[in-house]
Amino acid sequence: MKYYLLIPFLPLAGFLLNILLGRRLFRSQAHWPSTLAVFGSLVVAVMVLMDVLHGKTLNHDLYRWIISDKFQVSVGFLIDQLTAVMLIVVTSVSFLVHVYSIGYMHDDPGYYRFFAYLSLFTFSMLMLVMANNFLQLYFGWEAVGLCSYLLIGFWYEKKSASDAGKKAFIVNRFGDFGFGLGVIMIFLTLGTLHYIPVFDKINTLTGQTINILGLHVNLVTLIALLLFCGAVGKSAQIPLHVWLPDAMEGPTPVSALIHAATMVTAGVFMVARCNPIFNLSHTAMNVVAVVGGVTALFAATIALVQNDIKRVIAYSTISQLGYMFLACGVGAYGAGIFHLYTHAYFKALLFLCAGSVMHAMAGELDMQKMGGLKKYMPVTYWTMLIASLSISGIPGLAGFFSKDEILFRAYASGGVGRFVWVLGTAAAILTAFYSFRLIFVTFHGEFRGTEEQRHHLHESPKVMTVPLVLLCIGAVAAGWVGVPPLLGGSEHFAHFLEPVVGLPHAKEVSHAEEWMTMGISVAVALAGILIAAVFYLKNPAIPRRLAERFPFLYRLLWNKYYVDELYDYIVVRPALGIANNIIVKFTDGAIIEGIVNGVPAFIGWLGAQMRKVQDGVVEHYASIMAVGIFVLLAIGMIFLI
Amino acid sequence: MNMPDLQPLMPEIVFLGLALFVLLAELFIKSKETIGLMVIVSVAATAYMIPQSFGVTFSGMFISDGYSSFFKFIFLLNLILTILISIQYIQIERAEFGEYYTVLMFSTLGMMIMASAGDLIVLYLGLELMALSTYILAGFIRHDARSTESALKYFLLGAFSSAILLYGIMLLYGLTGTTDIMKLSSLLMKNGMRLQSIFAIVMVMVAFGFKIALVPFHMWAPDVYEGAPTSITAFMSVGPKAAGFAVIGRVFLTGLEGFSADWRLLLVVLSIATMAVGNIIAIQQHNLKRMLAYSSIAHAGYAVLGVIAGNTEGLSATMNYLLIYAFMNIGAFSVLVLLRNEQERIETLEQIKGLARNHPFASALMLIFMFSLTGIPPTAGFVGKFFLFRALVYSGYTWLAVVAVVFSAISAYFYLRVVMYMYMYEPEEGVTQDISTAAPLGLALLITSLMVIAIGIYPEPFVNFARLVVG
Amino acid sequence: MVEAFFIYFALMVVFCSVMVVSRKNPVHSVLWMLVMFFHVAGLYLMLNAEFLAATQIIVYAGAILVLFLFVIMLLNLKEEIATEHSVGGWPGGLALAVSFLLFALLAFTGFTVKASGKWSIQEVSRLTHTKALGKVLYTEYLFPFEVASVILLVAIVGAVVLAKKKLKS
Repeated sequence: MKYYLLIPFLPLAGFLLNILLGRRLFRSQAHWPSTLAVFGSLVVAVMVLMDVLHGKTLNHDLYRWIISDKFQVSVGFLIDQLTAVMLIVVTSVSFLVHVYSIGYMHDDPGYYRFFAYLSLFTFSMLMLVMANNFLQLYFGWEAVGLCSYLLIGFWYEKKSASDAGKKAFIVNRFGDFGFGLGVIMIFLTLGTLHYIPVFDKINTLTGQTINILGLHVNLVTLIALLLFCGAVGKSAQIPLHVWLPDAMEGPTPVSALIHAATMVTAGVFMVARCNPIFNLSHTAMNVVAVVGGVTALFAATIALVQNDIKRVIAYSTISQLGYMFLACGVGAYGAGIFHLYTHAYFKALLFLCAGSVMHAMAGELDMQKMGGLKKYMPVTYWTMLIASLSISGIPGLAGFFSKDEILFRAYASGGVGRFVWVLGTAAAILTAFYSFRLIFVTFHGEFRGTEEQRHHLHESPKVMTVPLVLLCIGAVAAGWVGVPPLLGGSEHFAHFLEPVVGLPHAKEVSHAEEWMTMGISVAVALAGILIAAVFYLKNPAIPRRLAERFPFLYRLLWNKYYVDELYDYIVVRPALGIANNIIVKFTDGAIIEGIVNGVPAFIGWLGAQMRKVQDGVVEHYASIMAVGIFVLLAIGMIFLI
Repeated sequence: MNMPDLQPLMPEIVFLGLALFVLLAELFIKSKETIGLMVIVSVAATAYMIPQSFGVTFSGMFISDGYSSFFKFIFLLNLILTILISIQYIQIERAEFGEYYTVLMFSTLGMMIMASAGDLIVLYLGLELMALSTYILAGFIRHDARSTESALKYFLLGAFSSAILLYGIMLLYGLTGTTDIMKLSSLLMKNGMRLQSIFAIVMVMVAFGFKIALVPFHMWAPDVYEGAPTSITAFMSVGPKAAGFAVIGRVFLTGLEGFSADWRLLLVVLSIATMAVGNIIAIQQHNLKRMLAYSSIAHAGYAVLGVIAGNTEGLSATMNYLLIYAFMNIGAFSVLVLLRNEQERIETLEQIKGLARNHPFASALMLIFMFSLTGIPPTAGFVGKFFLFRALVYSGYTWLAVVAVVFSAISAYFYLRVVMYMYMYEPEEGVTQDISTAAPLGLALLITSLMVIAIGIYPEPFVNFARLVVG
Repeated sequence: MVEAFFIYFALMVVFCSVMVVSRKNPVHSVLWMLVMFFHVAGLYLMLNAEFLAATQIIVYAGAILVLFLFVIMLLNLKEEIATEHSVGGWPGGLALAVSFLLFALLAFTGFTVKASGKWSIQEVSRLTHTKALGKVLYTEYLFPFEVASVILLVAIVGAVVLAKKKLKS
């Protein structure tokens, strides 16, 4: 099974080739090394999946970097069922996005740079999912964050893009700080960072508490919640979701790959990977479930009124990630990963379709200026329609199976599960609504853009539409591996993952209840689509009237609950205020400036003084040596005798 | 008297023979590439003999063991890399005498003898052989006043330090009646003359400190490094320094182990002074060669830390550091050689402004070496410092490790400044940034940069190898 | 009697050395050095080292000093070139020299006289000094001796390269 090594290192090779030779050698052919590399990874990933299906798993330290007593910095790979699923998701979506980018980015001046970053991202993401220890996970975690930063700010000449990159980076700092603390806590308490020993020994910590400012906090809960902090940041959950919509400033393929299918799901992956830790803490599990459920609903409501086509999908992503956490929180990790996997395809598809639309509209993002695009770009229309059906949860499509599984598991787990089930179901109706609002406003009706834009409208080239069609297959069929027994399936997916994440322990639930939850989720999906059709196809005046009727609610949603403004008031401005008034004026002016400027100035002055001794005269040099001898002799006589 | 066992000496004998052969061959072969190749083949032959040469001969005067072999490996590596960067460079400098290669070989032979010396007299002679050859090499560009001046300065101060070394050896002989390094410690302890012993130790330490450029015996280094041909600067900043450490390890850790508390204190003083002066004055330098000269002083200050730690861990960390330092320092100098074109020397910060625009590859290499010299992971420099500081902490010198880290942080200022000038500025008007295109030079850069990265990423075998040969 | 000779030679060596470094005219310095070399040879003789004494006179006084004189005459040095920069001038140097002397005297007190080994004074006089020296040099100290020969070779090569070779333009 040694060939698994090719999976991360092919993209790394692609990155190195492009970053070193891309500008001079490949130029407009820069897509070749990266795309071929990730295709190779995809092929190997499929082979690895086959091996894992045959029960061959692997936990292997590839190499140890630095060993200092118990502290080991090592690179190792854990290949099990969970990893295999993630590998398939990451490499397949990444490959299709690479291909799509060939068309989408074709005359960008930073063509080689784009593909280099894309390869670097793929490498980092693969290292993250293949890690067998927390340090490597953390490395991958930060590396994908870095790539995300680089790619959001890819068009760094645009201020909004570089600002969005910075925002993503800074917001993630908050989450990663907690994550880093969690990793340190694990090392301090268990003395190792490798998954297997950590998960084996974590039981020994049950019941232990740690004293934080007089509060006795359960140690496992603390660790789990710290780790979850990282997940909240990376997967854009409340309250750290604010960076993801802004991240849409990056090129659309990036949004599809990083901000929909892979990087943002790293949080879910991590929680699922650490399930032995989370399982030991009810508090942490409930926090995860509630944060997920609330985020699912909250983000969906914002998506209702947004006009920026990519932002709608971004909020939808936040909402769907909420579902995944919801699932993990009720112990149904398998369902969460299942949704992660189906979501990767239909959400990447939605983004790429949006990119295709932007391509046709010369970068226009406001869906109010679109309309009637159906006849100009049929492939984009049909694939996007199927993706929307899938995300809405129409039976038979991928999204249905995974979302239904999550909602059923939530319902079945009882307690908090019931509560989040209500949240999730409410979010489901909104999901269907905003997804079809997007379809109807964009593709149906009359074109509302300028004459020039209308003239420009065209279907995207083959290199872009073929990935759409391939992803579309995923959006339809990906769910078929997890058909519930109720519908005659046997839940292959859940059983496949069972060795890693276990099966959720559900209360006895009758078939009737199972039919009920499924019926409800199908009904709300259809209802959502229907309402959207009424609002935007039959009677377009309704939305406006509603907005006028409930101006407060509308403004609240339109302004995304003022979270950005809130942060601006409670975090950004105080921080800047402190920065400007206290740090700049006092600390900086007097102390830091004194140190920052003073120390180099002093060192510089010292250097200048010392340098004077170096005057090039040999006699002086010899004299200094002689003085040195006497100083040493004096030290010897004073201190050593 | 019977024929002495020559087996331990075979590498040196073969190397000497080949050096003489190269000296003669140079009369007939005009192609410098061929000569260079011959030297490299000689090195390979010698390196091949080293592992089979373990043993002691000439009644303990010459010791071939794992310790000496590790250093010989560094010396030979240093020689190969120097040859690679020299072939075209000395033509540009119009100093392409064939003796250049022979003298380099003689100097390396001197270092090898130093590493294997089991007797103070042999040590001294090896040191003189090395030093005399380096004086000649430093002045090799005869038509350049800077080069000649540097050779003369090096010679005068070198003679001074040799006198001090002889003085120290004389005192040790007077106190013990032997020059055998292995017997020194016990005889000195038996003699019981502490003050006098410390006096002798100081003398020896000063002479070795001169070779590895410890402050305040470093005064020659900046002037000589700047004036000497760049390829020789690279050679001098690695080879003689490593040889100095080889004898320090042998003399202090075995010969004078009974006085370890004493010489440790003195070395602590010297190493702090060295790190301080090297790093602080380097900030003032705008000439890259001179900046690297101070940097190499500072690095000697770090490397001494392992000797101060004084155990297997520390000594192996020092050896490992020297190996890493060989790669990164020669690498950095190779970039300077790369920047020497027919018309001008590109040596100052102003001249390398915007280098990344014109030569992204050369700049990227320089970036790697600067990162490594600073000690930023995942380069080899980080690994080297990590193990040094770790050994230091484990031997109870945490405070000294903190001091070293602080100076390391200061050093980031002038190393990263080079990167900043290359990447953040526009090229200066009227500066032609033509670079050399010699294939051997490219090979040297390839080897050094790959090793800097490789050791940085996968240090374990190197660290373990150094531990093995010491332990 | 022997002590008297020793004191004479030793004092003369010190005196001549001071004269060497204090003369303004380089030729005078060299001539003082010549005198000093003869007195050093005298000291060697008192140590039964007649071979060293002869070498001292032939090599140092005969060859090296003549070379010095040639160089001085070639450069046409009438007087030492005065340099402006000396640290503290001679008082500083004197202070350094005196303190060094004190340290050295202190150090010498630690010297121990060991029982003479194979090469006792009687043995050396029996074999004659030259023969004894030769025996030691070519057996026990063969290795350092050979290394020294390489050093001489390097010196020759270096001299040729730095002084003789024509530059290829």
